[in-house]
Formats: sequence, C-alpha cells, structure tokens
Amino acid sequence: MQAALAFRPADPYLDIDSYDPEADLMVLNLGPQHPSTHGVFRIKLYLDGEVIVKAVPHAGYLHRGVEKLCEKLAYTQITPIVDKNDYVSPMMNEQAINMGFEALLGVEVPRRARYLRTIVAEMQRIASHLLWLGTFALDLGGALGGGATVFMYCFRERESILDLFEELTGCRFHYNTHTIGGNRHDIPAGWPPRVRAALDTILKRTFEYQAAMTEHRIYLDRTQGVGVIDAELAMSLGITGPILRAAGVAHDLRRHAPYHAYDEIEVQVQTETAADCLARSLVRIREIRESIRIVSELVDNVPEGPICGHRPIKIVSQERVKSGQAYACLESPRGELGTYVIGGGANKESSPYRLKIRPPSLHALSCLPYVLPGHTVSDAIAILGSVDPIMGEVDR
Amino acid sequence: MRGFEPPQEFRELLQSRFGVVEFPSDAPPLVDRSRHLELARVLKEEHGYKIFVFVVASHWLENPKGPDPEHYELAYALRTPGEGTRLAAWRVRVENGQPIQSLAHLFAGADWHEREQFDLVGVVFEGHPDLRRIMMPDDWEGHPLRKDYAIETACPPWR
Repeated sequence: MQAALAFRPADPYLDIDSYDPEADLMVLNLGPQHPSTHGVFRIKLYLDGEVIVKAVPHAGYLHRGVEKLCEKLAYTQITPIVDKNDYVSPMMNEQAINMGFEALLGVEVPRRARYLRTIVAEMQRIASHLLWLGTFALDLGGALGGGATVFMYCFRERESILDLFEELTGCRFHYNTHTIGGNRHDIPAGWPPRVRAALDTILKRTFEYQAAMTEHRIYLDRTQGVGVIDAELAMSLGITGPILRAAGVAHDLRRHAPYHAYDEIEVQVQTETAADCLARSLVRIREIRESIRIVSELVDNVPEGPICGHRPIKIVSQERVKSGQAYACLESPRGELGTYVIGGGANKESSPYRLKIRPPSLHALSCLPYVLPGHTVSDAIAILGSVDPIMGEVDR
Repeated sequence: MRGFEPPQEFRELLQSRFGVVEFPSDAPPLVDRSRHLELARVLKEEHGYKIFVFVVASHWLENPKGPDPEHYELAYALRTPGEGTRLAAWRVRVENGQPIQSLAHLFAGADWHEREQFDLVGVVFEGHPDLRRIMMPDDWEGHPLRKDYAIETACPPWR
C-alpha cells in the first residue's frame, strides 16, 4: 500500500532506462498462457524487487478478425459470429449488434420482444457476474475457503441459468436467439415459475457469497485498498460498468439511457466509493441481487404480442441499406457495449461497410499501466481479475 | 433512430464555434480536421463530456464514378456521465497520407483505440505517445480492415 502511493500518479509511458540505473530490475512475462490472465493475454512486468515499476500489456492473441469477417456477411448472418466475442455473456453481444442494425435499418422491436430481451439480459448479467466471482476467487487462490470452493458453488448457480436458457433457445451458450426486429424463440410453457425458483435459490446464496468476501480476513487483505481506479482516470480511459460505479459515479445506461424495457422499470444503480478491488466485488454482488429483482418483476408480466416485428428471413441478404451510419449501445455486465455500423457494404449492400464493436473490456484492461505500478505481483493478479476482462471481446 | 442526434449544447457549440452547418440525419456531423482536437478539449473541459467512447476509422477507396479520391473517415464519440447521459459524436475526413491529431493526451482511453485503428486501418495519429500495432503481430504486413486488403488475399505465412 505504501509503495503503491509512491507511484501515484503512475506514468504508463515511463522510460525504463531512466528509472534508476542502480536498481536491479527484473522482467517478468505474465502470460500469455497463465490461468489468471483470463484467456490469452500477456503483461510484461518490470519489477524492482517485488514491486512493479512498469507494466506493458500485450493484447491481440485472440484476434480473429471479426470486424473484417462481418464485412462479408449479411446482417442476419452476423449474430452467431458476435456470440463468440464476449463468451461469458453472449446474449449481450447479440442484443448490442442487433440494436445497431435495427437503428441502421429503422426497425421497431415489439413490446413483448423488448421484455424478453430485458429478462434474458438480466439473467445473463447474473450468470456473468457469478462466473466472475468464481474465477476471481480462484485467482485469489486459497482466499475464499480454499482453492476452488467458491468457483464450484458459482458454477453450480450459473448452471441453473444456463439450463433455463437451454429451455428457451435450445442452446446452452451460443444462442443465436436475437435477430433484427426481435427474438426467434418465445417463452416456453412453464418457464416463468422455473426462472423464479432458480433465482430465489441464487438470491439466498448471494448473501453467503458476500459473507465469504466481507467476513474473510484474507479476502479483505488482498482486495482492500488494492488497485484503486479513481473516477477521473476511469472516465478518461472510457471505463464504464461496475468499475466506474465502484468509483462512486452512478452511471448506468439501463437507467440513464434506457433501451429495451428499462424505461418501464426502475433500476437501482449500485455504487461504492472506495474504487478498489473490494468495492468492485461488492458492486457486482449487489448487481446480481438487483438483476434478480428485475427479472422476478418482469417474468410474470410479459405482455402478449409478436416476438419479432420484422418480416421473417427468407433469404439472408434481404436486409439492404444503401448508406448511413448508426450507433447503439447497452449496459453489458462489463460496461458500455456498443455497435457502430456503416451501411452499404459488399454483396449488393446487404453487408455492413464497416462494423466496429466497442468492447468494454478493452477499456478496462487499458487501465493496467496506470494502476499496476507500485503494487506487488500478487496484487497484479487480484487487479487483473477484478476488472473482469474477457479476451474474446478485447481482441475480437 | 440512429443514435447520433446531437445534444442541444453540442449542436450549438458546433454551429457557433466550429462553423458546422450541416447536420445529416443518418450520420454524425463532419468537423474540420484541424479543429477536432480543440473540439474534444472544449467538450471535456467546458461541457462535461468526460467518458471516452470510441474512435472508429473507415477506409474509402477512390470513387470510380465521381471525383472522390481515396480517403479515411474517422468517427469519434464522447459521453457525459450519470443522469441524462448524452453522446456527442462527430466525424473527421482525412485524405490519404494526411495525419490526424491524437486524442491520447486528452483521453487516456484513446491510446488503445487509436493503436487499434492504426493497426487495422492504417491511419497515422500525430502526437500519439506509443503508436504500434495492438491486434496483429508486430511484423504483419498491411492493414487488414482497408478496403484494398481483400479477405481472400494470401497472407505471408506467419511463424
């Protein structure tokens, strides 16, 4: 903690040769295949003793050229591709990309589909945050009741949500359930009571998980005061979502720029002020509860009507737009997930000319050169886990 | 709805201080290349647009039917935090070979975004503190998201 203060504000472009000629620096490559890097990601750490002097992140190991690929595909073919971007919350990717296309093509989404999208989005948020909690506990090693205990519990709860998604869409993970103008799968019979039962169970257990965090000496020691990302730095870096809210800024697109059915319900924005790893943990666990409340409120009151307001797909290249641009965004579990699209591309204008996905994780990761200096290597693992990076969407 | 309706104060600012008269309904307004850094600074310091959202570059080949030469188009967006969040988006046109000023000193988040656009599209950002490839390997040839970089192009074998 003392060492960390000496490095505030950290210079991400520090010339390592000018640091201290007398110091015996060591270079440590963390990753790309280390389990705690949450995918394939490498940080080059310059260490003075055990303290990080400079951190140089290297992304791009998972770059698959999604944006280039999408320039060759018709609008309706892109949904299953972007499923694989943020592979922890595929529903969000589908929704964000289709919202972008709907804005470009001028398509309205019927009310029932907007409700359905809200419900699956919130369930996906619960699943995503649970996975985060499990892997974060794993990152901290024995901090949460020894090794993989919390990890296993969180996967058990997440499994119940994936089961519900399987009933709804037929797929456990890469759903391809959203399309331009609505959804492809309607709510099956008897689904709402099963959703409520599963979420009630999860709700009870979130209190246990919170106790496992806030009443655990080791967990507190490893997260309290570690990795402070203050509000100014976060906003300048473009970090949104739980990280920004943990820094005391009540910014949530669900409430402040409503989309789907969020204009019909009240979303309580969860904030903390400490801006450290613990604050981010608390924001996320409270967001799970908030999401459970939203789903419970909505799942029994889904209005009747069609689930897709657009003509059915007969040929994939039927959606055409000559020119124009659009941007649409939503609050994914990691922050603002946006789609910027320019129309009028290949295949007789049935593909985007340029598609850009604005991934929240890219911004979250770019905080590392600012935050890591002054921390120890063990703190680096905790900080990296606490920003919840998903390499699939960072590298695309 | 396209998501680009300029907020009132942004529209007035563009009209009064940046000489923008055209507000297309299907795209963000175009701002002069030499003034866009100033625009970002004014938005951040005077109007509270503190959250960096994106930089997107797109490559446009010479139009065979018209007098439009090869150029790039960059779209920028900033956002206000909290209650009533507003998105200010604008575009800048950059002719082939011209540099554009980097926002990285104003918004730390522009660093990686501009690196990505440099890497994939080939736009050079002037004053960027660390402009190198981010997605592709360091020894990659070409910029994959350019329109003259066809998806079928054979790439040199890599490692």
